[in-house]
Amino acid sequence: MSDALFSQLLATTTGLLLVTAVVQVWRYSLSASIRVLAVQGAALGALVAVLGIERGDAEVLVVAVLVLAMKAVAIPWALSRTATATGAVREQAPLVNPTAALLAATALTVLAYVAGLPIVAVLEGPAASAVPVGLALVLIGFLVLLTRRSALAQLIGFVVLDNGIATTAFLTSGGVPFVVELGVTLDVLLVVLILRVLTSRLQSAHGGIDLDELTELRD
Amino acid sequence: MNTLTVPGLLAVQVVGALALTPILIGVMRQTRARLEGRAGGGVTQPWRDVRKLLAKEPLQAAGTGPMLSATPLLLITSSLVVCALVPLVGTASLATVPDDLFVVVSVLLLGTVALALLGLESGTAFGGMGSSRHMTIAALVEPTVLVAVYALSIPVGTSALSAIVAARVQDPASVVSPVGLLAVVALGIAVLAETGRLPVDNPSTHLELTMVHEAMVLESSGRDLAWLEVGSWLRLTALLGLLVNLAIPWGVATTLSLSAVLLGVAAIVVKLLVAGMLVAAGEVFLAKLRLFRVPELLAGSFVLAFLAVTASFLIGGAP
Amino acid sequence: MTALIWIPLLLPVIVGGASWWRRADGWTRGADLAVAVVALGVGIALLTAVHATGPITAATGALRADALSAWLLLTIGTVAVTALWGGLPTRAARTAPDGRYTALICLFLAAMSLAVLSDNLGILWVAIEATTIATAFLVGHHQSPRSLEAAWKYVVLGSVGVAIAFLGIVLLYASTVAAGTPTLSWVQLAEGGLSLDPDLTRIAVALAVLGFATKAGLAPMHSWLPDAHSQAPAPVSGLMSGVLLSVALYAILRIQAIGDATLGPQFLRGLLLAGGLLSLAVAAAMILAQRDYKRMLAYSSIEHMGIMALGVAIGGPLATAAVLLHMLGHGLVKAAMFVVAGRILAAGGTTRTADVTGLLTRRPDLARALLAGTAALLGFPPFVLFFTEVAIVVAGWQAGLGWAMGIALFLLLVVFAGLARHVSAMTLGPPVTVDPPVAAAPGQDHGAHPLPVDSHTAPLPTPWREPATEPAAKHRQAPVLIALAAAAILGLMASPLAAQLREAAAVLAGAR
Repeated sequence: MSDALFSQLLATTTGLLLVTAVVQVWRYSLSASIRVLAVQGAALGALVAVLGIERGDAEVLVVAVLVLAMKAVAIPWALSRTATATGAVREQAPLVNPTAALLAATALTVLAYVAGLPIVAVLEGPAASAVPVGLALVLIGFLVLLTRRSALAQLIGFVVLDNGIATTAFLTSGGVPFVVELGVTLDVLLVVLILRVLTSRLQSAHGGIDLDELTELRD
Repeated sequence: MNTLTVPGLLAVQVVGALALTPILIGVMRQTRARLEGRAGGGVTQPWRDVRKLLAKEPLQAAGTGPMLSATPLLLITSSLVVCALVPLVGTASLATVPDDLFVVVSVLLLGTVALALLGLESGTAFGGMGSSRHMTIAALVEPTVLVAVYALSIPVGTSALSAIVAARVQDPASVVSPVGLLAVVALGIAVLAETGRLPVDNPSTHLELTMVHEAMVLESSGRDLAWLEVGSWLRLTALLGLLVNLAIPWGVATTLSLSAVLLGVAAIVVKLLVAGMLVAAGEVFLAKLRLFRVPELLAGSFVLAFLAVTASFLIGGAP
Repeated sequence: MTALIWIPLLLPVIVGGASWWRRADGWTRGADLAVAVVALGVGIALLTAVHATGPITAATGALRADALSAWLLLTIGTVAVTALWGGLPTRAARTAPDGRYTALICLFLAAMSLAVLSDNLGILWVAIEATTIATAFLVGHHQSPRSLEAAWKYVVLGSVGVAIAFLGIVLLYASTVAAGTPTLSWVQLAEGGLSLDPDLTRIAVALAVLGFATKAGLAPMHSWLPDAHSQAPAPVSGLMSGVLLSVALYAILRIQAIGDATLGPQFLRGLLLAGGLLSLAVAAAMILAQRDYKRMLAYSSIEHMGIMALGVAIGGPLATAAVLLHMLGHGLVKAAMFVVAGRILAAGGTTRTADVTGLLTRRPDLARALLAGTAALLGFPPFVLFFTEVAIVVAGWQAGLGWAMGIALFLLLVVFAGLARHVSAMTLGPPVTVDPPVAAAPGQDHGAHPLPVDSHTAPLPTPWREPATEPAAKHRQAPVLIALAAAAILGLMASPLAAQLREAAAVLAGAR
């Protein structure tokens, strides 16, 4: 693959990752967020595939397929199933209004760029210069996690966070060893499934109480 | 003579814009009408409306000031200047009056403020309401326009609009790069807001409480209203023209030869009409946003523009 | 020898799988205890083996047992035996066997063993995340709204924290890639010969410690701990408080060794000092005003993790050895205390401190255990926690951190005041009888773990059940008594373990 094409594809996929993260902050309807999450997963899979083709490493391509299957298909599917099961598809206004959250996302992107400077300085290559995108995704995922009311939306923030970490991992070193990557991806899927199980138990045992309405535990 | 002078090119732009604008508005209205299942008034209806209004005497309510008659002239003058400065047909610019981004935005702002003052002038509640909404939207749109075009200007190194368009003609890769796409999308949303199209403002609404632009011109009539309407349409032409020339720069005249200019005229006509039809078609499917949701939309477009700027540093490497 | 490493990993998985498959069989009731006993045995065996022959590796170096790993495995085994033995129901309170519960406990034990036995940082991370997943279901075992809420909060906060740790590990791997030697092996990283970039390593190590500190319950990332540890069934609380927090601290120790090798020992000191002192402060404040005795025990865990974090911050052979011994001692005592708390809940039906009175008269066996355990937790001699806390303070003074030790001692005094007040109110004095007992929600006993469900439909406090229940038989008191006795003896005669303890501490000073 030529250098220019590699840079172009890298730019497109990382740009798409960043845009989808910002749209997550912008749109707070659950069904829209899950769709955007699927697009983000697809962009991540594409990024890994591009890196694999550039390196000529078959293992990375296998990881790309795994990432695609998990993050673009399995996790959004599990999330939408949970959403329909709890009837939680209506919009819930977030704790911070979207305008302020969007401006905060902007500030976080700048912060990620600044924080990523030492990393970019150490590693060389076009892939490393896009590492701040991964860090920005982590910070924006945190923002979504902290400013949403419903458990499902917080979980979406967590998945964005994880996507950011995965992006950083792949851009800095071509990925961590395969076993670890497998473990990490499965872990995210399991967290989503845990929410599914917990909410379904809550529904069946206690008649339709929403996880978000529970605030009994405090000191 | 095979080449034009730069003032000649600018004159071509102004005259062409004046001629094309009613047609553009007519095409947009006709597209919308046809899609909605109506017959529509025909493509030349806006031109007929303007002719009718020009023949009528403007009426002014008692207690109004000079702004009522000054604003229409201010608006149309600023719109004509913008049409001259924005690279619609060609990328040449005068040395004395640069078509810098900030100059263009300032001239646009002149018209915006004049219109807002007009709405306040008559002292009615609807006028004041329209003015305040108009200024709110303008305050949110200006940063987006500035940052989006700035993002596009980073690889060029200058904020002169004609230089930016010329650079994009020569470098097709920058048109499809993520930076370009993000900036164009952000600019598109900003243009829709600035020119009062859906989803920010419905140009064909009759309900005063939903009006933004219409509320400000509610008290104008006759010639004044004609200038106001044409001035607003010219702003749409100029901004939409800028947007399509940034998004699809091919066809713009980079030299001053006659053939290039003719090609440029033909290209901008085609591009504007197609863009106008797409905007109108989109409007059929969009609902107007509630007013307090508009800042969300505009903040989103600002963030996209900002991301375009940061992306050009992050991904391209700082220039 | 390598079989010793594989046993604590594979046996729980096999037993757990079998329990899940045959979930209605009776043998599943004691299967987790059997696995814990085996883990304890392997821990002792590994400790002696490593002392004799040096570190043992398996799976081409991905698994490695050095003195530190063996010590942690010993701790895991000990605490697991205490908690699970004490959590066995009486014959009268037995319900249908729940193989899924057993399977989850086995998975939990396997994951913790994998965390301490792995040399690869990535596998360490996966194992710690696996413990979060396993305990999520265990915390929500009762399926009441409160326990489900606690389980969800625990999963989200734990996973986010551990995700941050993963980012740190990723950046650490990136720095090794940049240095030309891509590796995640702790041995290679802690040797210090890899010439890693200091800036990148600084960020990586800080993030990793931050993430694992969330899992260890250090303030300000501690908010999940009181909920999760108070809503879980008693044996699970004992396991989590006793050893899971220590395993997270073990991960911090390993990362600190890497940081020390590359950046020098001062880097993490400030971070861990702040975390430790903040944890102590939070625990002290919350214990004073606590109304629920299980939450009180959870905050006591936060306090002890704070003390251990201070020890880790100080570094050096004395403080590190004290931290390791503290892990074992605290695990024993906390597990015993949670078992006692579970029995108090079973006998009295309430977790509110105000509703438990005159325990010494009603249930002297429970009261004595409670008093002894509280004395241990507060750091009274002859319990081992006294010696370890003194050692940490002395080491702190020697390292020039006298001001921090002064603050810590003051906060420990506040904790003493709080704990002593609550426990003496619960045990001493005459029993107070409230209104006729409100019947607990019938038919909601889940599994073989005798805790009535927190009734969310009856917000009024449920008073002590009358008539008083019988004191437990001697064999039922055994696990608690043995655990507390061991905690008492450990401090005085640590000599069989002294050499191993020194070796384990030395592991962190220079990679062995």
